[in-house]
Amino acid sequence: MTNPAKLSEVDEGQIVVIHSINAGRKAHLFLADLGINEGEKIRVIKNDTGPVIVEVRGTRVAVGRGLVSKISVLKE
Amino acid sequence: MTAKCHCNQPHLGRRRKFFRHGRKKVFYEDQSERKSFSPMSKRKAVNGHTIEHSIAFLGNPNVGKSSLFNALTGSHQHIGNWPGKTIERKEGHFILSDEYFSLVDLPGTYSLSARSEEELITRRFVVENKPDLICVIADATRLERTLFIALQVMELTDKVAIIINMQDLAKKNGLQIDVKLLQEKLGIPILLISAHESTSIMRVRKFIFDSLHTDKYSFTPAMMVYSPKIEYMIHNISKQIEIRTVRKDYPTRWLALKILEEDQSILEDLEKEFELEDVKTKLRSRKIAEKFDSIAEKFDPAIELSKSKYSSLHKIVHSSVSGSSEFIENRSDKADKVLVHKFWGYPILISIYAAFFLITFYASTPIINGIDLLIQRFSEWVRLSLESINSPLFLNSLIVEGVIAGIAAVLIFIPIILIFYALVAILEDSGYLARSAYLMDKVMSKFGMQGTAFLSLIMGFGCNVAGIMATRTIKNEKDRVTMIIANSFIPCAARLGVIAFLTGIFFQPWLAALLMLTLYGVSILLVLITGFIFQFFYKQEDPFPLILELPEYRYPRFRNVINLTWQRAGIFVKKAGTFIFLASILIWFISHIPFGAEPDYTIAGYIGRGLAVVTEPLFGFDWKMMIPLIFGIPAKEAIISALGILYGAGGSIVTSLRASWSIPQAISFLLFQLTYAPCFAALATIKSETKSWKLTVIGFIYPLIITSILTVIVFQILRVII
Repeated sequence: MTNPAKLSEVDEGQIVVIHSINAGRKAHLFLADLGINEGEKIRVIKNDTGPVIVEVRGTRVAVGRGLVSKISVLKE
Repeated sequence: MTAKCHCNQPHLGRRRKFFRHGRKKVFYEDQSERKSFSPMSKRKAVNGHTIEHSIAFLGNPNVGKSSLFNALTGSHQHIGNWPGKTIERKEGHFILSDEYFSLVDLPGTYSLSARSEEELITRRFVVENKPDLICVIADATRLERTLFIALQVMELTDKVAIIINMQDLAKKNGLQIDVKLLQEKLGIPILLISAHESTSIMRVRKFIFDSLHTDKYSFTPAMMVYSPKIEYMIHNISKQIEIRTVRKDYPTRWLALKILEEDQSILEDLEKEFELEDVKTKLRSRKIAEKFDSIAEKFDPAIELSKSKYSSLHKIVHSSVSGSSEFIENRSDKADKVLVHKFWGYPILISIYAAFFLITFYASTPIINGIDLLIQRFSEWVRLSLESINSPLFLNSLIVEGVIAGIAAVLIFIPIILIFYALVAILEDSGYLARSAYLMDKVMSKFGMQGTAFLSLIMGFGCNVAGIMATRTIKNEKDRVTMIIANSFIPCAARLGVIAFLTGIFFQPWLAALLMLTLYGVSILLVLITGFIFQFFYKQEDPFPLILELPEYRYPRFRNVINLTWQRAGIFVKKAGTFIFLASILIWFISHIPFGAEPDYTIAGYIGRGLAVVTEPLFGFDWKMMIPLIFGIPAKEAIISALGILYGAGGSIVTSLRASWSIPQAISFLLFQLTYAPCFAALATIKSETKSWKLTVIGFIYPLIITSILTVIVFQILRVII
């Protein structure tokens, strides 16, 4: 385990574990309802410009870049 | 807290554990108890059937809920609105063994919290209407995510069953679902189906029937047991609720959870009902208040509850599903490598939408011409028949030029609207529509808007009413209001008709095409600029960021496309149709009274001449050009019919228009009509969607001001150079 990195800096194809989400309450709750929580394993499908696409619990979710930079993750 | 459970992990326990802690009602302990909620007691005659059962369908978006609903109910459907809301309410029924099953298709939601109108409607329906059975539709390929809402429903009521759809797809992916085990763990009936297989519908009907009638299934929903800290808080709040006998219609534990989550809608309800200033402080004793705060400081209970549910679900799904292979690149991922590529994604997007508009335009033209011809023949026939029976001239004119012309104006737009929304439905059902929102996010974000606003933009090209209604999917308040107001800038099918008609008269085909494209470009630019301007009025500290699910690509299903098309085209036919028809009759009146007078001396003539004093030097609009624009305010398609009445009398409208308008005047007119005002149907929708008179007034005045400024600039420049 390394130090937490921002989700926006993770390469495509990597599987990471969410360490913390430092977003506004509304956004955080919506993420939580979609299963994007601390401790959750996710795969980064797409991360170049614009929103980041992650795979979480078998579904693909696009998350805005601003929000993604507020999510820190641990690489395995 | 539960007696037997002292572990720190949240998990699903048996509900009977909970019964020891104050819950009075015990469902399904024996048959007589079961009757207490069984619909058997509801013995009222419905359509000749003595027994009626009410069933509600609930679930995530993209799980095939609506197609299953449609397949079950067939043509026995009624589409309306939820009271006071513009959200669609779909009801239907089917009959089995001479019993009547009425179904309600609740809006697709990810959760039962009250953060959107859809969620609130769904929750209220479950609590207030108390359906006999709630069917949660889940997706076998995404079980954890789609069962999440089922856990929330199970906290609210016991009458839950789960229908897991897309079994075939899961099988293809190598997933084996042990339904028996899943059923046992969740404590409620579960059925596994693939909705498009022919036997599924009968199986679902039988499943619903058996769930309500036989002992084949049990209804003992597993109770979510949270971490000890949360359970401690729930326990304390529950005690206070019971002492104060607050809101008996909600289950106590659920109410406690909602208070803990600080659910705005529930807190407001309670404050109103019991005149409590602060429900949270009142509903707990002062002694434990401090402890609460110290716990709540460490985490947000609402997020903690979601987390616990997911971690319980994870365990259950893992134990009852084998062959689950997480994080494997599927076909959609491979397609997305190209389709949402940071560079190639855009040429593909542009090609797809260019093809989209070309198909709409070219496929509908021959149909429109055909309808036009039929209407001409028909109105000619009516005129002759009326004349042959010597009916008064006034009446003939009202029937032919008012009523029939009004119906014609509606009919003409139906093919274009149908084709347009069928194509939107194909894009939507295939999964590409969500991708285009994703791609457009990069573009729209430069103007302070989110990609989700793009969907409303696309819908608006068909009919602004549909475009405004599509803003519901936008979670960001600023973007939503922006798109509601800016929809007036989007040339709907009706305005496309005016553009195509006038550019064809005044310009060479290639120049006409170029001008049309330019006009569309101007519209989109005005929408983006509006987004840019509006962000200064909505200084939100925490704008809601883009969070968008990208469904898997699949072949569009014919049935889904037909249903989606019918829904949206239906909006146009019903709402816009009425307005267009009434507007046409109104136009006839003000342009024909006093009857027999020259056009200049009718009511419309006077109004037009009054306005022309201002508009002629500014925009180049004389009184005769003003009248169609006035008529166009309630309904844009009236512009063509008004031009016909004013310029077509006694000769060809084409030669007459070419002779009376200069090129700058024509361009100025085209530009002005493109964006100057929402039609009345759109205005009514702005009011119902925003529930604000202020925004409705802005929705009318803002486009008028922006368009006037733009037209003055363009006309004055053109006048000098041409």
